[in-house]
Amino acid sequence: MDVNEISEGIFEVRKGGKKILATKNANPGSNVYGENLLEEEGEEYRAWDARRSKLAAMVLKKMKVPIKSDSRVLYLGAASGTTVSHVSDMLPNGIVYAVEFSPRTMRELIQLCDTRSNIVPILADASRPKLYAHIVEQVDVIFQDVAQPNQAQIAAVNAEQFLKEDGHLLLSIKARSIDTVANPSKVFKEEVNKLEKDFDTQFNIIKKHDLAPFHEDHLGLVAKKKLKEN
Amino acid sequence: MKIITWYGILTIGDDGVTECEPFNKDVDELAELLLQKDVVAYFPGSGFDIRTVAIECGFVENDEEYNSLLRDVSIRAAKLQISRTNTPDMQIIQAVEALDDIDDVVNVLSERLSEWYGLHFPELGLSSESLVRFVSEFGSRNNVPAEHPMFEKATSSMGSELPSADEELIKGFASNACDLYDSRHNIEASIVRNMEKMAPNVTLITGSLIGARLISMTGGLARLSQLPSSTVQVMGANRALFKHLRGRAPSPKHGIIFNNPLVKNSPWWQRGKIARALAAKISLAARMDVYSGELHPEIKVNLEKKVNSIKAANPKPPIKQKPAGKGYKGKNKGGER
Ligand SMILES: C[S@@+](CC[C@H](N)C(=O)[O-])C[C@H]1O[C@@H](n2cnc3c(N)ncnc32)[C@H](O)[C@@H]1O
Repeated sequence: MDVNEISEGIFEVRKGGKKILATKNANPGSNVYGENLLEEEGEEYRAWDARRSKLAAMVLKKMKVPIKSDSRVLYLGAASGTTVSHVSDMLPNGIVYAVEFSPRTMRELIQLCDTRSNIVPILADASRPKLYAHIVEQVDVIFQDVAQPNQAQIAAVNAEQFLKEDGHLLLSIKARSIDTVANPSKVFKEEVNKLEKDFDTQFNIIKKHDLAPFHEDHLGLVAKKKLKEN
Repeated sequence: MKIITWYGILTIGDDGVTECEPFNKDVDELAELLLQKDVVAYFPGSGFDIRTVAIECGFVENDEEYNSLLRDVSIRAAKLQISRTNTPDMQIIQAVEALDDIDDVVNVLSERLSEWYGLHFPELGLSSESLVRFVSEFGSRNNVPAEHPMFEKATSSMGSELPSADEELIKGFASNACDLYDSRHNIEASIVRNMEKMAPNVTLITGSLIGARLISMTGGLARLSQLPSSTVQVMGANRALFKHLRGRAPSPKHGIIFNNPLVKNSPWWQRGKIARALAAKISLAARMDVYSGELHPEIKVNLEKKVNSIKAANPKPPIKQKPAGKGYKGKNKGGER
């Protein structure tokens, strides 16, 4: 078994001829959602399954993840924290703000937060960033996975309020949460268009990739804010 | 301009922060303040970095302290928020769902018991709860005492004998189902109690169980109070539809409020009008429960007046019926079995 750091805080562990995506466990000895724990040279890694995480799928699609060990990350649509836990692993000196609006789901997320030192849970609607602007600082990365029809707008209003000028937006777009019948590639085109033009805060798309076979009809996007001229 | 942050109030002048009034550095206090509703009116402008200011004005020493304090505060606040969403109406919603779950299970169990016990005592003719209670009490038909109304049938039954090993099994099975019925009665009683406390006016108008179902379907008393009464009138119709599709219920015509005796016991041509009046009063009652919580007996009196005037104005079925009207009548009767 040997370990290869493919992006800051993201590892590829070779084990018996297989390559396993993983992050370094910030809470050694315990796993979060049933994932495997891998030992190597006194370090413990948590296997990161791309079929359970859009961010992991983006990594396997060779999309560059701009998260560093001291990044400040705003995570919209945290759910029970499957992916948030890996982001937390990547941030030994950073912090992740985890926004989720379902109280039922937040209940599980809080249990994860209790075992981690760098997750700030926020029970709020991500389409109303003013509700948490007194909590969240300026961030390096926004990751968004809300699966909502208005996801482009959610990205825009949050980037406007919180994203540093040189920060990155990482977005997973689910075609069927926008239009259940339309052809996904058409939906993706429209969503990209919205991100580029529709709102006060506009984006340059740096990279996009569909996330199949890990997630069908999902598009992964990396974008930066267009600087406003004034 | 003043803005609110999780750690204090900042005054912003032309060249940045002019004043910083930090809150007490106490996790509980900060968590309460975090949940203040009017933060929106004082939110920091976009691009404003609240962390830098917290360190500059000395609220925290450094980034590490900022992170760990904010983490503790936000976890505390999120826990408070969660516990506050566990309102009495959430209890009621869970209780109503639990009733439905139990009903599904006891139906399956009692049907099985009816088949199984039918081998031994086919003449019994009981079903559901009475069957379950009977089997768990007596087991074999040979144990039915002489003074029991079923004694005659039991002694002359054509069913096969029940070996004692099987008797133990079947009694245990029946007693499990009895426990479920007990639990059902307890849950129902708690719904009645909670509804009287939480929604006395809705309970007065339509009874605690129908009221609880309406609350459960809308997701809470507050939401029920905001719905137009035309929606209240048909609520539950589609749920009944699904039950109907699964072969569990007669064809659904109307919302759940049609189970209210005022509607159910009226002749078919008055039901629609009465249901509309009832729905209007339910909406009103829900608003009263949300805003004052005090009982207003006069709404029930007004409803009864209204119902009586509907009855007086429509004493006879409409004479001329379109084919659609006939169909409505026929199906409706079927639906009220
Ligand atoms: C697809 S799941 C996210 C899964 C998660 N990213 C992971 O990989 O572990 C989407 C989540 O976003 C939440 N969500 C949807 N709309 C939201 C909104 N407007 N504000 C906050 N959370 C939202 C949902 O409750 C759900 O938990």
